[in-house]
Amino acid sequence: MRHRAESFAKVAVPVKALLNRFALLFLILAAFAIMLLGKADTLVVERARSGVIDVVAPVMDALSRPIATVSDGVDRANRFFSVYEENAQIREQNARLLEWQSAALALAAENSAFRKMLNFVPERGASFAAARVIGDSGGVFVRSVLINAGTIEGIEKGDAVVNGDGLIGRVAEAGRRAGRVLLVSDLNSRIPVVAEKSRVRAILAGDNSPVLKLAFLPPNARLEVGDRIVTSGHGGVFPAGLPVGQITSVADGLIRVQPFADFYRLEYVRIITEFPGEVAGQIVPSSARPSRQR
Amino acid sequence: MITAAVQRIDRSARQLAPFLSSVILVMFSALPVYLPGYGQVAVDVGLMTVFYWAIYRPDLFPVIAAFVLGLWQDILVGSPIGLHALILLLANWAIVSQRTFFQGKSFAVIWWCFSLVALASALVSWILVCALNTTLVSPMAVLSQAALTVGIFPFMAWFLARAQHAIVRPPDE
Repeated sequence: MRHRAESFAKVAVPVKALLNRFALLFLILAAFAIMLLGKADTLVVERARSGVIDVVAPVMDALSRPIATVSDGVDRANRFFSVYEENAQIREQNARLLEWQSAALALAAENSAFRKMLNFVPERGASFAAARVIGDSGGVFVRSVLINAGTIEGIEKGDAVVNGDGLIGRVAEAGRRAGRVLLVSDLNSRIPVVAEKSRVRAILAGDNSPVLKLAFLPPNARLEVGDRIVTSGHGGVFPAGLPVGQITSVADGLIRVQPFADFYRLEYVRIITEFPGEVAGQIVPSSARPSRQR
Repeated sequence: MITAAVQRIDRSARQLAPFLSSVILVMFSALPVYLPGYGQVAVDVGLMTVFYWAIYRPDLFPVIAAFVLGLWQDILVGSPIGLHALILLLANWAIVSQRTFFQGKSFAVIWWCFSLVALASALVSWILVCALNTTLVSPMAVLSQAALTVGIFPFMAWFLARAQHAIVRPPDE
């Protein structure tokens, strides 16, 4: 009996070792295959990703709440020490904003008078969905966040995501209850933009650093530091006029843009699910897409 | 009869603990922390757990576990899918194949080896990401991630060692 067990082991051990080695090789090949499938933007991979995220989203949602509370608490304690200066600052800003308000009211009255003259048909407003950020990209090669809203809330892949400061990114994957937002600073993010003053069109590209760069500028474009950059709405994927950032440096054809949104402190975001002029359900050619798909 | 069944469940639960705890730790690492700049250099928790278990209990952390953990990390973190799967797989294989070297070595030696593994994984992932995006990405982020991961490793190792003694227990028990 013992002899038999030994002879069995003599055969079984090398076979097991062979299987193990084969498993390693197989898994390495599988990893490469999955990488290529993911790169080719395959529907299967995308479904699998959003499926898993859907399942985990409620757990991550619950776990991220205490962290947000602690972070808010620290923030509040910090602000307590600068209350006096902040108050002075806010008073000054309030005075300035009141001037702007009266200017805006005058312009609105003028505008409505002109519209009446022209029999202008007003556009439908945009509709939004709100979401909480439940996951950060812990990766060094991607700038993305997980949000706790999905197709149930009317979110679709490609929708623009904003917060109070400006554009944040676009929906890269939409599950039922959760989605992933590709930030404008991601390497794969390309957004058609326009300089607000000079109306120069360009593509705003991320390169994983906190500042963005402008690409595909017309040869004689004149841009200055401080110019505001807004979405142009070309391609019909994003609404036009969403504030994105401000030019911080113009040097040797390399134009850097500082985004208005602070990506480190994203807690709540809004997703623009519908907007006037949206090219709905149309297959956008890849060159007109706001960013390259991964 | 019932006690035997309970014991069996208890034992398999303990044997699954290294993998399941890694899954949970990776999920924790994907939560938003609201620290400026942290998202860019977030610690690679998957690599730490795979390294630890490959050295101390490779019988409970087979290559397939490393592969699945890598896929899990890719999905949660949003990195190119398959990237961490491949890296954790290679790390697991590299360490398990050198297992006799690690036996009885001091923690300093193990830490030093971990820094080599972290550097190698940083380089491999940098090359893969450059190839996948067909552009040259700055390697700074990945190197600072490796440095931070190496710095955090002793704490993680201490935590995992406590978990190992409390839950997993030695193999002969």
